[in-house]
Amino acid sequence: MAAEKIDVPAPVRQVQSLIAGIEVTLEKWAQDLGKDLSDLKGMVAGAAIDGLVQPAVKGLLARDSPELAGAGFIANSGLVGPDRSYIAWWQGPQLERVDALANFSPSSMERYLKAEWFRIPVESGIPHATGPYIDFLCTDDYVVTFTHPVRREGSAELAGIVGTDVAVRTLEQNLIRGLRQLGPAASLVSAEGRVVVSSSLSLEPGDLISLDDAGLSYPVGRRFAIVSATEDDAPRG
Amino acid sequence: MTQQAASASRGLAAVFSPLRSAGLADQVVERIEQAVETGLLVSGQRLPSEVELAAALGVSPVTAREALSSLRARGLITTTRGRNGGSFVAEDFLPSTRGALQQLQALTRLQINDLGLHYSIITVACAGIAARRADATELAILRTYLRPSQETLLSWRLVDSEFLLELAAIARSARLGRELVRLQADLGTLTLLPYTDKAFREASVGMRAAVADAIEARNSALAETTTKELVHALIHWLLDEHSR
Repeated sequence: MAAEKIDVPAPVRQVQSLIAGIEVTLEKWAQDLGKDLSDLKGMVAGAAIDGLVQPAVKGLLARDSPELAGAGFIANSGLVGPDRSYIAWWQGPQLERVDALANFSPSSMERYLKAEWFRIPVESGIPHATGPYIDFLCTDDYVVTFTHPVRREGSAELAGIVGTDVAVRTLEQNLIRGLRQLGPAASLVSAEGRVVVSSSLSLEPGDLISLDDAGLSYPVGRRFAIVSATEDDAPRG
Repeated sequence: MTQQAASASRGLAAVFSPLRSAGLADQVVERIEQAVETGLLVSGQRLPSEVELAAALGVSPVTAREALSSLRARGLITTTRGRNGGSFVAEDFLPSTRGALQQLQALTRLQINDLGLHYSIITVACAGIAARRADATELAILRTYLRPSQETLLSWRLVDSEFLLELAAIARSARLGRELVRLQADLGTLTLLPYTDKAFREASVGMRAAVADAIEARNSALAETTTKELVHALIHWLLDEHSR
């Protein structure tokens, strides 16, 4: 579809700019933090990481709140110590620190390697978006988590990841009107076909749809798409 | 008018119930206990200092000191002075079956039944929705909780609670998930007890497998029935033990 670029409707562009905006913010933050970490040689103390990350999170949540529920950095093994991780993550308007007891744990690496939002960007070196899923570790809410690898100059190993949580209810508040303008069955879906927000009353966030027969599809950010069933597929009353 | 009084919501009456200070130090103690029980902190390891602990949990150093001295008084941590001093997680910190039995005997049959009813309603609801929403990755994760990789009592208890939490995660209801976390905190170490029984352990593996199979088959009704059986088995074991 060569004409697709020209034909992208305004509501789709609005969704694309919100998601792409979050991804670009993370990418820039990952570069800045990577440079700051490169200036510190050798192993880095947790307090030094806090000192770099907390002001950035504060700025991010103040600027983009309430879009962003929380944000932070999680160290890959080797940055603060061998086989150790470190979490510097804050959430909410009060900048509440999350999961910090894990920083004293001998098994902190294992804890984060279980989580898709950490494991995938660390193993692949590619930015990732996880969810929608219930985040029992931090927000206890239904969220999408965007994560981006952080590189240190002169180091083959990744230093860690930066990430941010966006509540699904926030995405609905921002996107539902545009999706309704697109049609009665327009949905923002993940790469797995998991519905995030939909204009269709018969689709709830979390439901799975088949992407093969989804009708029109527009890519949104790295891992999402807006699918809009054509009139033939639209649910009839 | 009496009519008006009678129509007032009973839920609103709770607004006027006495206010209790939640006890911030108690919450810190609870967090540390959970961290040790789930293996995040381990026996013998050094605990963070008062100042570090306060910063990590967002409480004042006074509250952190209060929490540490409460743990010390109960023998859950030991403190040594000097250059290499500090607070250490005690070797016998982990919840014991003795403590769990005391907790069980302190409850009435009525309370156990009511707790079981609540636990069953929440988990069964999660299972029903999970059968509609599970993808292949999630099913694979669910199946890692059928049987623990180690034969310790704590790992059995961990798979028991993690399996049900995973059902809530797959169902994707934040409310049901939070409710389940709260309920598991209420159950405390009670769920340790059935896993002292070898027959129960093996039976529980089969029951969890049946739930996973029903979810894979996208059969909501069967997922609900099998989850109900799993939770009922646990509660009935506790009731049997209680009457012994």
